[in-house]
Amino acid sequence: MSSATWRNFFTYNKYAQITARAVRQSLKESERVVAEKRGTTALKYQQWENGVGGPQVFLNSEEDKK
Amino acid sequence: MLARRSLARIATQPSPLGAAPKNARNMATLREIELRLKSVKNIEKITKSMKMIASTKLAKAQRAMQSGKQYGLANSEIFQHAPSETPAKRKLFIVVSSDKGLCGGIHSSVTKATRRAIANTEKPVESDSPIMVIGDKSKVQLSRVLGKNLAMSFNQIGRDIPTFADAAGVADLIVKSDAKYDGISIVYNKFISAVSYEPDIVEVVGENALKESAGFRAYEMEDDVTKDLAEFSLANAIYAALVEAHACEQSARRNAMDNASKNAKDMIDRLTMQYNRGRQAAITNELVDIITGASAL
Repeated sequence: MSSATWRNFFTYNKYAQITARAVRQSLKESERVVAEKRGTTALKYQQWENGVGGPQVFLNSEEDKK
Repeated sequence: MLARRSLARIATQPSPLGAAPKNARNMATLREIELRLKSVKNIEKITKSMKMIASTKLAKAQRAMQSGKQYGLANSEIFQHAPSETPAKRKLFIVVSSDKGLCGGIHSSVTKATRRAIANTEKPVESDSPIMVIGDKSKVQLSRVLGKNLAMSFNQIGRDIPTFADAAGVADLIVKSDAKYDGISIVYNKFISAVSYEPDIVEVVGENALKESAGFRAYEMEDDVTKDLAEFSLANAIYAALVEAHACEQSARRNAMDNASKNAKDMIDRLTMQYNRGRQAAITNELVDIITGASAL
């Protein structure tokens, strides 16, 4: 497939994370538990304007409610 | 010196351990020492346990750092073979620290290095170069000094060993943000040994600089692939910096808690001596009273 349209929607890093998640979910149960730990992130970020910070937002907002 | 003063006070006023109001000051002295002794003992227990926890975390963090450094080395291989022709004028600074304190001078060393780099006259960068901070502690310090340059900040990294997912998330947000820069400098703490660290800056070449470098132009490269490579190498560099900074933080916390426990132990010894001397002086005074009373009969 020479023309890949995913580049219009997200970056390569997001692409790699999605494929990694797919691989992890396809592992056997015991391996999967170990691998899930390597893929967890609870990152929060906030934008700053002129020395004032905006609201802090979760990067993965659906996952943080679990 | 303090012991002698309190001793003199106790000697002039009889039976400091009695409940009489005019002796309340002496009773407070002895009681005060007892309370201080108890609280310093608690503090020593806490700092000792924090030191143990940091030691075990350090072992794990060092192992993760050894394997994580390979990502950064792979990056530097590429950048070595594709050096940029013109020096970057406008740099994006990524400052790597963490959210938790009680770890010595980790956060302030990284903040100082950033300030030095921005004020550097040898390799000048634009004074409104954007800064993105990972970790609340450095964010607070930098917002006071270089608040106008702050573009974005991240937290909740560093609770546990940083994962590549964290680094990829950060890189993703940076690329998607509309900050303008020619090159990227990552400021982090380099792990020298279990007792020492020092701040270091690692350069990441941006997408445009990669495209224009002589090394890349020698090959036929699609623009898409170059963009992917630039984004991925940014995530690599951030990951290597994150794990190394995490290891530095654990070692600094262990050393700080070790020093705190030693100081607490010294304080406990001093206070115990003071307390025992005061107690014995009180008992001696009581005895003197009793004996003079008995000899008067």
